[in-house]
Amino acid sequence: MTPRRIALRAAQVVIAAAAVALAGGFTARTHQRIMTGRPNLAVTTCTHCHLRSAFKLPWQKPRPHHDSPGGIAVSPDGRTLYIALDDKDEVAEADSATLAVIRMARVPGGPFGLALDAQGKRLFVACPQQDRVAVLDTRDLAEVASIGVGVRPTDVVYCQTRDGERLVVPNSGSDDISILTLSPLAELARVAAGREPYAAAVLDGGRRVAVANRMATHDQMLTAPASEVTVLDPASSRVLDRLALDSAHLAEGIAAVPGKGWVLNSMVRVRNLVPITQVKDGWVMASGLAISRADGQVTQVPLDEANAYFPDPSGIVASPDGRRAFVASGGSDVVTVVDLDRLGSWLAGSSAADRDDAILDMALSCRYVVARIPTGCDPRHLALSPDGRRLYVAERLDDSVLVVDTASLKPLGRIVLGDGGRDDPIRQGERVFTRARYTFQGGFSCRSCHPDGHVDGLSYDFDGSGVGDNLLANRSLCGVAGTEPFKWNGKNPTLQFQDGPRFARVLMRTDPIPDPQLDELATFLVNLPPTRTMPWSQVGKGLTPAQQSGRALFFATKRTDGTPIPRALRCQTCHRPPLYTNRLISSVGTQSPRDPKEGFDTPHLIGVGAVGPYLHDGRAKTLEEIWTVYQHDDLHGVSSYWSKEQLNDLVEFLKTL
Amino acid sequence: MTPRTCALLGAAALLMAACHPEAPRGSLVLTQVPAGVAPPPAATVMDVRYPPGSRVVLLSPPLRTDAAEVLSGGLAAAGDPCVSWDGRWVYFAGKAAESSEWQIYRVRAGGGSPERVTRMPGGAMDPAVAAHGELVFSSPVPKAGRQWTSPEPAALYGQWPGQAPRRLTFAPDGAADATALRDGRILFVSAAAHDGPRGRRHLCLFTINNDGTEIAAYAGQDDGVDAVRRPRELGDGRIAFLAARSDAPEARDWAECVRSAAPFATRANLFAFPSQGCRSVGPTPEGDLLACVDTRGMEGRSMAANAAVYRVAPGAAALGAPVFEDPRWDSIEATCVARRDEPSGHTSIVMPGATHGTILCLNVNDSCDPEQDGGSGRATQLRVTVLAGGAQPRVLGTVPVASDGSMLARLPSGVPLGFDALDAAGRVLRHQPPVVWLQPGEIRACVGCHEPRNHSPRNVRPQAVQAEPQRLDLPPEAATPRTPAP
Repeated sequence: MTPRRIALRAAQVVIAAAAVALAGGFTARTHQRIMTGRPNLAVTTCTHCHLRSAFKLPWQKPRPHHDSPGGIAVSPDGRTLYIALDDKDEVAEADSATLAVIRMARVPGGPFGLALDAQGKRLFVACPQQDRVAVLDTRDLAEVASIGVGVRPTDVVYCQTRDGERLVVPNSGSDDISILTLSPLAELARVAAGREPYAAAVLDGGRRVAVANRMATHDQMLTAPASEVTVLDPASSRVLDRLALDSAHLAEGIAAVPGKGWVLNSMVRVRNLVPITQVKDGWVMASGLAISRADGQVTQVPLDEANAYFPDPSGIVASPDGRRAFVASGGSDVVTVVDLDRLGSWLAGSSAADRDDAILDMALSCRYVVARIPTGCDPRHLALSPDGRRLYVAERLDDSVLVVDTASLKPLGRIVLGDGGRDDPIRQGERVFTRARYTFQGGFSCRSCHPDGHVDGLSYDFDGSGVGDNLLANRSLCGVAGTEPFKWNGKNPTLQFQDGPRFARVLMRTDPIPDPQLDELATFLVNLPPTRTMPWSQVGKGLTPAQQSGRALFFATKRTDGTPIPRALRCQTCHRPPLYTNRLISSVGTQSPRDPKEGFDTPHLIGVGAVGPYLHDGRAKTLEEIWTVYQHDDLHGVSSYWSKEQLNDLVEFLKTL
Repeated sequence: MTPRTCALLGAAALLMAACHPEAPRGSLVLTQVPAGVAPPPAATVMDVRYPPGSRVVLLSPPLRTDAAEVLSGGLAAAGDPCVSWDGRWVYFAGKAAESSEWQIYRVRAGGGSPERVTRMPGGAMDPAVAAHGELVFSSPVPKAGRQWTSPEPAALYGQWPGQAPRRLTFAPDGAADATALRDGRILFVSAAAHDGPRGRRHLCLFTINNDGTEIAAYAGQDDGVDAVRRPRELGDGRIAFLAARSDAPEARDWAECVRSAAPFATRANLFAFPSQGCRSVGPTPEGDLLACVDTRGMEGRSMAANAAVYRVAPGAAALGAPVFEDPRWDSIEATCVARRDEPSGHTSIVMPGATHGTILCLNVNDSCDPEQDGGSGRATQLRVTVLAGGAQPRVLGTVPVASDGSMLARLPSGVPLGFDALDAAGRVLRHQPPVVWLQPGEIRACVGCHEPRNHSPRNVRPQAVQAEPQRLDLPPEAATPRTPAP
């Protein structure tokens, strides 16, 4: 072959390849344009719709399990401790004298909350992963009974009422409270609670039970949220009172104070309506204690100090003599000791105005906080021995239980449950997630707004582009893997970018999280599975007729009358399975006057039933409101032909995702 | 770089390290001034503090007078030492000759020749080391007797190694005695807000972030005597400082402290015994206090005794015996040479090219100071004043106040700003002399005018943020350079 022929042949090949590439490119762009319904394809690639598999995401893969202590129960004689190990599906029994684990019992369902009966013969275990309460015989730790309750029960308390024994179980996933009888073991009632009922305490010897609701709710966007303390009569299952803790969230600890008639709640006082211009002086949030008195009056007082924070207050216990309270602070790894007599004196001598403003005074805690006890990583649950002489602190991310002498406030030793998972990058990332050291003065941690990786349901105003320009709803981190880009404007391509220097500048106000820790944090986050919103009893089962109807609406290409729905306005175009997002910016008619742009990141819908409020600034309180209140010209999917029943069906389907 | 070059550089580094070993454990850095020598007339406040012959020395255990190693060798006078967080460097103020300006020098803690690190016109003083090795100092050095009344008040500057200094403070009466807190802020002394040159000056403690943002009162604004000096953070949650009845340096200071948990409510004597004559106080790694005290005339001490170094255990009932004294020298400042936890850093929000910052007040009617309030009416506008280009504040303009009392404005950065809350008739309800400032691009907020100390805001959405902030500009003739060229 002559050189000329070779050149000709090469030119033919190049021309053919170029023609194929041009044709392919044209076809691909046409395909993209049709399938996305977008004229501008500058940022659209094949991977926005294809090559995404939910089964390949990190949270789908096996991960190490750890002996993380959850709830603790102490036997009436004080000799035996029961420790829930939810990540291992086990309950440990330990000797309080030797601090050694005696035996383990397997309890499927992520055992978390524990309670003993009056004689210490039966151990009741709340299992949030299987929506049930198990009953164990303490003689052999064998499971002797089990009963299904609401979604994700996180605690259980036992009480003796005028009508017999009762168990009260807060169901954090279904926002209700199960009241159980023990003879027979049956659900007497399920009453509505606030948002995420999380922990319960027995009052007045069993005449009342108070339930702390971890999350806040608000009537409208830009109004102050409040979390609820639900007070009920366990004998009759009637709700007696619903106390509102103003601007409180993460209220996951509750304790009754003997002799004083008080109910104490650990809580975080948020200032989400105020632009985040600084962290100092509790400008973003601060830890506090809510004191609910018998007359229904609630006073909030700070647990932080003027120049130091003790964030993420969690477990709380009061001594049997009612003189001291202990509050675990997971963000700063301390237990705060509160002198309740001093606190009572201040309350008695203060005016109503003083009590209203008490939570604002960061220097007030000097009057009643008498000590801060250092602990291991992420102290959460607390328990006291019946005589009040020993405090047990679950050091959740160290796989240990710290034992403290309550007289000297000195540690007596530790019950070692595991190795702390030092070699597990996911566990290391969780430590970064829970520690407040990366924030100015230790003001808050990632967990403060994302409890257990989830969402606090609040909207915040970051000052990144100017005060008042940036009101954004918090987003859940559960199931976040594979849904990049992040942030509502879709500008952050990775979690490291999202949580790196920009975050330090606009939120944390300190040095950025160092790169190694940032990588560990990202590892933890991508391994967070989506929040389960379906009852355990329905998991793995087919859709109900209503859900099937809703699914058909979601994937509809034509209206009921046969009119085609433009592809750009079909639910599935933007919320494309398997993650129910095409990871592109979408304009759905929700731009408010001070939003700099009309388009927002298309959120994924995995676990969407639990992440409200909705839309970029949290204006839609429920999924329904997206289409009943905030839909404009069918911009957020063609919904104008839906009946009320059809909308209900669609919402039912969305809650199955 | 070739392997040979690397090897040569490594050898040189090793040689230098061998020549300047780290200071032994338990070493102290002292400022010594000649004892019993009448100081000559002083030109600046630093000359008053550190007369000619003053020196900075390293004192290693067992703290003998003949074991002092001079760190300020070759300088005419030196003082005010501070030790870097890694314990390897000592920064101090010094002057090369009698006629020279005071500048900041540094020297290896193990010894060596001092090197000058600042070249500030008018001099520099009061060195402190912030996060990541940033040097913070005051400049210029005021004339003697005019530290807080100087027409060119001292400001704090920050200077990263090898970079130009940047101005951090714009306090109208000056800023001095900076020290870095563990949370990353700079604690310093300045005068509380007052009206004009005739107003009473009350020296107290303030903080800023290490980029000069978030100027805030820290302690002493509402209590105590007229002056505070040399604040130092102790390891037990307290801030120690020297208190005096006037800002004159001859006064016999005594040691006081506040708890950082409630700095406006916990002011107290640092020691359980009288501490008049205290010249410096600071922490030790072991949790004791290191104090330099002039004990002349004190019970149990002869009149010939002079300022010596004492180590005081927490709760000690008496001063005890000095750990070091030298009859030829007054030991007026002592610091331990030891590695300490570095302060937190701060990701700056300052935009160097910007000319304005933004300020949000949640409710200008929220006040806890009836004495300073001119009435109980509701403010409808806020008059902004500025102290620039003259001794008297001038009106910059007015900003509307929303019906909920909130106010949002974009104001010039780098100048002291004051605020007058006015009612509908133009009467002044609340008055704040120019004392706060904004850094370029800073967005800051306050709860209210004369807000309670250490108070958090209520969780309410201010109406003012619903609209664009009103912008006020500095008149061209009032503009001043932000950072004088060094």
